[in-house]
Amino acid sequence: MKGIVFNLLEEVVIQEFGPDVWDDLLDEAQVGGAYTSLGNYPDTDMNALVAAAAAKLGKPPEDVLRWFGQQAMPLLAKRYPSLFVQHTNSRSFVLSVNSIIHPEVRKLYPGADCPFFHFTDTADDGLTIGYESSRDLLALAQGFIEGAAQVYQEEVEIKQLVCPHSGSFPSLRVEWT
Amino acid sequence: MDLTQESTDADTANLLIQVGKLQRRLDRERRARLEAEAIAEKGLRELYDRQQQLLLLETIATQANQSTSVEETFRLALVEICRYTNWSLGHMYDVVAGEPSRLVPSRIWHTPSRAALLPFLDDTLTREFLPGEGLPGRVYASRMAAWLPDVAQDDNFVRHATARQCGLRAGLGFPVLVGKEVVAVLEFFSFDKLQPDAQLLTVLSQIGTQLGRVIERQQSEQKLIHDASHDPLTGLPNRLLFLDRLSRAVARRQRHAFASYAVLFIDLDRFKLINDSLGHSAGDQLLCEIARRLVDALGTERSADKTSAEGSSAAHTLARLGGDEFTVLLEEIPHPSAAVEIAERLLLALRQPILLDGHEVHTGASIGIASSATEYASADDIMRDADLAMYRAKTQGRGRVAIFDPTLHDLAVERLSVESGLRRAMRDKEFVLHYQPIIALETDTVVGFEALLRWQRGPTDLALPAEFISIAEDTGMIVFIGAWVIQEACMNMARWHREYPATDQLSISVNVSPRQFTQPDFVAMIKQALNLSGLAPKFLRLEITEGVTFHNAERAIVVLEHLRDLGVRISIDDFGTGYSSLSYLHRLPFDTLKIDRSFITAMLEGNESRAIIQSILALARNMKMEVVAEGTELATHVAALRDMGCKYAQGFFFSKPVDMPGVQALLQRGGSLAGP
Repeated sequence: MKGIVFNLLEEVVIQEFGPDVWDDLLDEAQVGGAYTSLGNYPDTDMNALVAAAAAKLGKPPEDVLRWFGQQAMPLLAKRYPSLFVQHTNSRSFVLSVNSIIHPEVRKLYPGADCPFFHFTDTADDGLTIGYESSRDLLALAQGFIEGAAQVYQEEVEIKQLVCPHSGSFPSLRVEWT
Repeated sequence: MDLTQESTDADTANLLIQVGKLQRRLDRERRARLEAEAIAEKGLRELYDRQQQLLLLETIATQANQSTSVEETFRLALVEICRYTNWSLGHMYDVVAGEPSRLVPSRIWHTPSRAALLPFLDDTLTREFLPGEGLPGRVYASRMAAWLPDVAQDDNFVRHATARQCGLRAGLGFPVLVGKEVVAVLEFFSFDKLQPDAQLLTVLSQIGTQLGRVIERQQSEQKLIHDASHDPLTGLPNRLLFLDRLSRAVARRQRHAFASYAVLFIDLDRFKLINDSLGHSAGDQLLCEIARRLVDALGTERSADKTSAEGSSAAHTLARLGGDEFTVLLEEIPHPSAAVEIAERLLLALRQPILLDGHEVHTGASIGIASSATEYASADDIMRDADLAMYRAKTQGRGRVAIFDPTLHDLAVERLSVESGLRRAMRDKEFVLHYQPIIALETDTVVGFEALLRWQRGPTDLALPAEFISIAEDTGMIVFIGAWVIQEACMNMARWHREYPATDQLSISVNVSPRQFTQPDFVAMIKQALNLSGLAPKFLRLEITEGVTFHNAERAIVVLEHLRDLGVRISIDDFGTGYSSLSYLHRLPFDTLKIDRSFITAMLEGNESRAIIQSILALARNMKMEVVAEGTELATHVAALRDMGCKYAQGFFFSKPVDMPGVQALLQRGGSLAGP
């Protein structure tokens, strides 16, 4: 996993709970903790950090991931404004993930293992998003979308679709309200 | 507050200061790390962009170097540039040269968003631009790339309405250059507003140069192909291309019985004469003019170069095979007589006089036709037959059309045998001269002879000129034969003067062929004949027809004056049958006028001929010319001519042409015609 994700997690934890909590999480997760955005680190580090946070907060890891995504998006908007200013709403921004955002990521990190999103329009101008990834981070994706709505000052309602057809991808149903 | 407490407080304060320092130090380190990361990311992004640009350039350059297809290369360039830039439409304009040049939409375009762009695409593909006009016109005029961050904000962007409708914002165009010449313009559009990217513009200009090479290569290939298959003088297809098209027509006919075709073989009358007398440059001009007329006359027929399939007219290919030979391949002839109608139209177009360097030149042509009505297996066969038909047209009299029929083969074979016979005759000295006396009507005495060529083909086979002279003229052998005739006639007359002093004032008349007259060394040849024979020039009378002088009167005058200065006499032969023009006659130094036999023969049938003869006689008297009447066969002819005051005559009434012994016998009698 890219160092930038660890940096974002560190930032949101410190922002919400202070630097000591982050130090505690590193200790509890038994991970090295020196992450640079240019580096690449084991997925197990992220899993351990999320598990440690979940234990500390008494919440399921999915909730931690979702919260992380929600909090991280405004930070990303600050760090990479050019990816955001081209869009006037979060729907448009979300739709650019495969064609613009992830290609930008790959410019910096050739071979980055980014997820792919399968978008389908719904009748009410919403989206169904199939999540294709080697990682199980659907909740993080959901949090990112919610965070994006926040950046564009919109309200969004997202449901994880239960029992996806076998062979299809886990999906999110997104509705802007 | 005790000391311990105080020192503890101080320690705590120190620790806090220490912690504060450490936190600031940590914060500095963090900021330094973030900045380092940002710098590294920027570098990586630029490196990536640069690599992608190089990859784009390399992809297009590789294609440009490998592909032979301009269209394929440009299509790939549009796809690759759209992919690289994420722009949504790429389109190429062709430059159509003219005054002014125009930018015309090519069929080469690419878009990943076709459905969304249909209105703009329709607008684009049906619109032309002049230099300076709109985005492509600006690129063309400046020979530089143009970048419009938002077409809606640009005053010189023509396709506003449809761009707005489709949501297009940024536009850019760049030129494809061959040297300094813009040969195409490429334009791209994006749905986003975008600021100019200097790096991208540099890459695009390099791409423009690479693509220019493809067009340049195609242009030179096309030129090579065109040059190899076209005549450089007239720009018409050459023999190679013509035979190729003809072979296809023959093959098509073998597959489809309805695929009729015909070949017209056109040969210019008198071209060699004009070329010899006016020079090659005039000859070239003439050929170009002829080509232009043929093109115009065929104009209403459909050129085989064009693909439009129209109504009832035939498709044609006009070619110049070389020299003065032109051919036309007619395909899909609507009806069998169409080929003849077209040939007649071509003859008509060629009949009008042509002005060359101030000389009015009359040309004309003979046309032979062979068609798929005779089934041919090869292009060579039909070409041979069309050629034979053309010769038939020529021998039947110039300015005609002849259609091939199988008997022409026999004629051709005969022609060939005559030609080789003539060469043999020259080598084996089979030519002989016969002499027809010319009589003074007042005294009934011989005043001279006309030398007439005969070919002793065998002991009993004496051929008259009609059988071989046109072939000798066509092949150019007439020049050698004619020189021999003059030489021989002068030698004999000089010898007779010596051997028969009583008749040492007789003159010898010799016919000069048009081809002979145009030889640059004609005067020198005459001088040599006189010198070698020792004949006084005043006894040599050269007989030339009007046609000889007609094509280049200026030169004719110079040559004739030269001859007159030598003392040679000039007769105008067959007077009244050509383009007699009095003003013209006046300018040429003729001594004698020979009335054509047709007037003499017709004299008994009516008064008209008699009136003409009287006019000719009056004319000659006024111009101080002597008159000889040819073809006097009957006593009544002679009596009538005497009545009208004609002084000289020749013809069967007095004597047939006689051989050398006959002349000697006549001279022995002192030039008296009465036989022993």
